[in-house]
Amino acid sequence: MANARALDKRRKSIRNIRKITRTMELIATARFKQAMDRASAATAFTDRMTRLVADLASTGLEVSHPLLEEREQPQNAVLLVLTSNRGLCGGYNGNVLRLATERRSELVAEVPNTRLEISGKRGVSYMKYREIPIDETFTHFEDKPTFDEVDVLASRFLDDFVVGKLDRLDVAYTRFLSSARQQATVETLLPLGSLGEEEAGGGSGNTMYEFLPSAQSILEEVVPTSFKVKLFKCFLDAAVSEQIARMVAMKSATENADEIIRNLSMTYNRARQSQITGELLEVMGGVEALKN
Amino acid sequence: MSIDATGAVRVLEVSVVTPEASVLETPAQFVALPLFDGELGIAPGHAPMIGRLGYGEMRVTEGDRVRKFFVEGGFVQVTGNNVSVLTNRAIPAEQIELDKAEELLAAALSRPARGEDELAIRDRNVAQARAQRRIAFARG
Repeated sequence: MANARALDKRRKSIRNIRKITRTMELIATARFKQAMDRASAATAFTDRMTRLVADLASTGLEVSHPLLEEREQPQNAVLLVLTSNRGLCGGYNGNVLRLATERRSELVAEVPNTRLEISGKRGVSYMKYREIPIDETFTHFEDKPTFDEVDVLASRFLDDFVVGKLDRLDVAYTRFLSSARQQATVETLLPLGSLGEEEAGGGSGNTMYEFLPSAQSILEEVVPTSFKVKLFKCFLDAAVSEQIARMVAMKSATENADEIIRNLSMTYNRARQSQITGELLEVMGGVEALKN
Repeated sequence: MSIDATGAVRVLEVSVVTPEASVLETPAQFVALPLFDGELGIAPGHAPMIGRLGYGEMRVTEGDRVRKFFVEGGFVQVTGNNVSVLTNRAIPAEQIELDKAEELLAAALSRPARGEDELAIRDRNVAQARAQRRIAFARG
């Protein structure tokens, strides 16, 4: 039987750990709510955007734009990986990075010039450990990415794509499906493929719109904006998912700590009891010896 | 306040959204918006329209109150009496500062630009800064 004092010490340190994990869980919950609100605001924007595109499409306009067209022989590709700056969030980073490394090896095989850009310290250290060269890193995206910050990135990608320095952009991130389900995915954002008009369904029917200046010129603006918003949405999704992952991880850590404390208390009490019994026996043995 | 033939009061439902937040959601009697080539006024009963926005001041008249915002590009869609404004940024005019706008303008003007693409970017930045300065000026 281990000695009682050592057990008590261990129990105390686990109590301290439990306090920390519990606090982190609460913080993650609060941050999750904030991030969630921001994400839903972005959804309001994208919804209106798709409606606008649906209305544009219903005028019979040919939806074509350089950003929507696939390049035949892609020469330059970028893989952008969104991870977190901080750890202690369970499998969040691992899942994204696993997918990202897979996609990277596919891209390297297909496209001669593949660049790897990583956001988040966790991803950076993972790639360094694996000795995979990184071309660009960002660590300034915390749990509240702002549109301005993402806009800088998005504009750079857009400009590169237009002048032909970039043929394909893939983004690996954790997609937020519901508060119970997040999934690591890799999406191709450039070329855009479709603007999502098929799912918008009708919009406002057969309203005859007046276009200022013209439907074509509005389309030319809509496409880049919708790319920017898509990229922004990736960042927001990643932020929300990170908080959820941390919440879940910390919750189970707290539960584990509770369990360990319970077990330790039990062994501690037993050890203490047997120690007392042992001492009593010794005293009684001494008394008996004196009698004789 | 405008009243239509049936005597019902007509109001616009204005909503302004940016990718980060819903900035404004309000009934209004009149909205003035900066389109790409000049200002556009929308009163209730406006024809359905989709327009491209420029940089400048948006005014939303609601009763006696006029709210002013700086909007930066984007689109406006008018259907029925709904006006939805999609813009990258919408900042209340009170928060625009003259000094900052001047600084922005100076920075935009002093940036070297080579080639057509860079020139276009510079023009855009200059237009943004000038629009902010105008608003700050108009305020006082």
